[in-house]
Amino acid sequence: MNFFNFFENDFLVIFPELFIATVIVFLLSYGVIFSTSEHYKNPALAVNLSWLTFFTLGIAFLLSINNSLSSMVIFNNLLIIDPFTTLIKAFILLSSMVCILISINYLNYQKINTFEYSLLILLSVLGMLCLVSTYDLLSLYLSVELMSLSFYILAAYKRNSEFSGEAGLKYFILGAFSSGLLLFGSSILYGFTGMTNFEDIAKLLSGLGSISDPISYNGIVIGILFVSIALLFKVAAAPFHMWSPDVYEGSPTPVTAFFSSVPKVALLALFVRLFFYTFYNFIPIWQDLLLISAMISMVWGSIAALSQKRIKRLMAYSGIVNIGYMLIGIASGTTIGLTHLLVYLFIYVIMTIGFFSFILGTQNHKTKALNVYLLDLTNLGKTNVVLGLTVSLILFSMIGLPPLAGFFGKMYLFFAAMNSKLYAVGILGVLSSVVAAFYYIRLIKLMFFEMSSKKYTLYKQMDQLNAYVLSISLFLLIIFMGSSEVLLMSCRRISLLVSL
Amino acid sequence: MFQFPSILLSLITLPLLAILVILMIPETRPNLVKTFSLWTSIIVFIISLFLWLSFDLSTPKYQFVEPFFSVPYSNMNVFIGVDGISLFFVILTTFLIPLCLLASWDSIKFSIKEYNIAFLLMGSLLICVFTVLDVLFFYIFFEAILIPMFLVIGIWGSRERKIRASLQFFIYTLVGSVLMLLAILTMYAQTGTTDIQVLQTISFSQELQIVFWLAFFASFAVKVPMVPVHLWLPEAHSEAATAGSVILAGILLKMGGYGFLRFSIPLFPDASIYFTPLVYTLSAIAVIYTSLTTLRQVDMKRLIAYSSVAHMGFVTIGMFTMNIQGIEGSIFLMLSHGIVSSALFLCVGVIYDRHKTRIINYYSGLTVAMPIYSIIFLFFILANMGLPGTSSFVSEFMVLAATFKSNIFITVLAATGGVWGAAYSLWLYNRTAFGNIRLTYISNFQDVDRREFFVFLPCIILVLLMGIYPEVFLNIMHVSVQNLVEQVQ
Repeated sequence: MNFFNFFENDFLVIFPELFIATVIVFLLSYGVIFSTSEHYKNPALAVNLSWLTFFTLGIAFLLSINNSLSSMVIFNNLLIIDPFTTLIKAFILLSSMVCILISINYLNYQKINTFEYSLLILLSVLGMLCLVSTYDLLSLYLSVELMSLSFYILAAYKRNSEFSGEAGLKYFILGAFSSGLLLFGSSILYGFTGMTNFEDIAKLLSGLGSISDPISYNGIVIGILFVSIALLFKVAAAPFHMWSPDVYEGSPTPVTAFFSSVPKVALLALFVRLFFYTFYNFIPIWQDLLLISAMISMVWGSIAALSQKRIKRLMAYSGIVNIGYMLIGIASGTTIGLTHLLVYLFIYVIMTIGFFSFILGTQNHKTKALNVYLLDLTNLGKTNVVLGLTVSLILFSMIGLPPLAGFFGKMYLFFAAMNSKLYAVGILGVLSSVVAAFYYIRLIKLMFFEMSSKKYTLYKQMDQLNAYVLSISLFLLIIFMGSSEVLLMSCRRISLLVSL
Repeated sequence: MFQFPSILLSLITLPLLAILVILMIPETRPNLVKTFSLWTSIIVFIISLFLWLSFDLSTPKYQFVEPFFSVPYSNMNVFIGVDGISLFFVILTTFLIPLCLLASWDSIKFSIKEYNIAFLLMGSLLICVFTVLDVLFFYIFFEAILIPMFLVIGIWGSRERKIRASLQFFIYTLVGSVLMLLAILTMYAQTGTTDIQVLQTISFSQELQIVFWLAFFASFAVKVPMVPVHLWLPEAHSEAATAGSVILAGILLKMGGYGFLRFSIPLFPDASIYFTPLVYTLSAIAVIYTSLTTLRQVDMKRLIAYSSVAHMGFVTIGMFTMNIQGIEGSIFLMLSHGIVSSALFLCVGVIYDRHKTRIINYYSGLTVAMPIYSIIFLFFILANMGLPGTSSFVSEFMVLAATFKSNIFITVLAATGGVWGAAYSLWLYNRTAFGNIRLTYISNFQDVDRREFFVFLPCIILVLLMGIYPEVFLNIMHVSVQNLVEQVQ
């Protein structure tokens, strides 16, 4: 048989990934050749490559949404492309584009001249795109590793900062550990089912009311548990979240922005593929696991965040709490839960990127340093009312106050929980969101309410890109109430296609 | 009379349009901002009067119903409309907003634009709260008011404790409300609709009703406020600016009472009857405890704030008597308290503007230098007490008469509230207005000027009108309240 007939359509549907892979090679050679060339006097190509990466991701986005075929399994059942993956890939590409935009100012001010930053982001995006379309335990591991390896280096990117190196090391050790767990779980699953393909496992597991052999049953359960726990490690859900505050705080700020928003999307899409499709019949097992993890995340995250003094650490804990909410959406196991989870993901990414664009844009007038401590935000409402109001609105959305978008996201998720009769989780969730409100309000209080401290920081004018990102994200959060039908409908349509 | 097309929608959107215009006015023209917002709020008030004039007295159904918006592809169509119960809350809102804006004419010195925007936004949101006929959107607007109120207390408040006060206000209300959100979501999951008109035809099982009632109670009890979750009220009132206190006492407390009337009682009648002893106990404690606490206060505003809690204790007693007289009395008490309490806060605001202190010991002998002010103050103190001829007497009498039919012990306890009310009201007035005057700077003792007089005049007229001939107001409520009581039986 002609080899290329076999893969006739396959290369067509993975154009985005192919394009990104090719461009990575090109940009790498471009970067190496030109930044070491004496003729051009060793230019610092970091910003240049960032813009090239931005456009690469843009073209990849256009390629991904213009898929000529809508749904197929390719490469010998290794990858799947369907409307769900297309939506998630488009979203990942868009949010990575925005993350690159907000990092350009940082590269300038930190005088980071090495161009590999954008390349690492491209590599991790490639890993994430493959992760979203995996259909096999092996390709799952490969994509997770590709994504995570780039993350380890990104976390340690600032070479002259001890803190950054420590963050990278911590992330690497824990990431490698969780990948090991993932492999262990996959191998157990392979051992007891004899297959690694998601579709095959799904058909095997769904065809039985119960696997009659208790050893096999327990074996599969252990496999599922190890795989889920490994993925919970990666997504920083409690009680496997210990690495995330340190890593988020030590990494350079645009990397933190990237970490808090984009991998969560990819990993949650993977969760959906695994739990709603492959392991769906074992729902009594993983529903409890995810619910417990969600409850601990929400409670621990909101209480621990109360005592934080630094902004990035606060955002790390807030990320943990949000992952808790999203795990409720997955644990509910219904189409409604999935739809609302997708909507909440969308809103969460916008809020996070908006907030981080604010952090990256506000530089001290004299020292050009970014805000590190919460107290650096004192009296922002007096020095720059518009900026203070913008951030307050984003924070109000994070608390979940109507009529901003964050409220609707939370309401949809709690509705999914109530619909699946998960009452305890719902009550715990809303109470933890009240506790969470407290530390967001503290930020607003620092900015606006005149306290006895006359301390204030004068900021440089925010650069253009960060200002655009901040304003557009706030705009999207505000208009959500009136314009959410399109989003809701597309999510609903797509989520109906995911389940068996 | 004639029907104004989409009158409720115009009430909601006019303040929003005014906000858009005010955003364009530069900071260098504060008077223009103030004048424009005042005229807008007066026009909104006049339009709301047309609601009253063309209201049909004979039907308990919702009137002026119009679609607000609808979420496509789902069966969620949100309507807005008034009936006999909510009509007066809408008019009270539109009445109080111009008073607030007029009262803060001179006392707010910075960020005037944002201040007026906050108040107009609150006015619009409040009308949405009182007219929307959908549980979920009631919740949304109920919560949305927290944002501007929180900012008004925290930014334009008076002292260092204002931050703590606004934080307390925010978090207390939030905790109660999220439990209500869960109940609403569960209700939606079970019945598939959040429209009030449909939900009133559905009856839940006894156990489910109890759970839902408790969740709703958590939210409304904080808002009303009932003991023991009333702690945010004295703080918030005493730290807010004058107009903030006015809007807080006048309208925001009534949202809780309205919530009870619109949601807890009609949707969960069995649970309401089941929990009546709880509500009675808490309200009786509220009346007696808070009235006695007022005698220990040093801050005038805190005193009036505690008396607000006592009055709202009366309101909740009246509501859970489940007969027409009681519920009408409680609605009327809410209206009367809205006017009298607001006027009292405005009185305190007048002398606060002059002397910059609210401590009772500081003032004495105001009658000598400010006679007109003293008469106005006396009038509202007597109204607060429940003097016959004023609206509070009518309402308290109706509530007590209704409670007598259901539970005599609580009536006795609540009636003693009249004595305590007289005690602290007269004590306050005695200490501040009578006695020897301590003259310092003569400019501090100027009597009420024309603007302040016109702030008080409508309140005086309304209190007298409501007290002497309340039927004008009560005949609107009769049919709706009768419908409500029949639903419970």
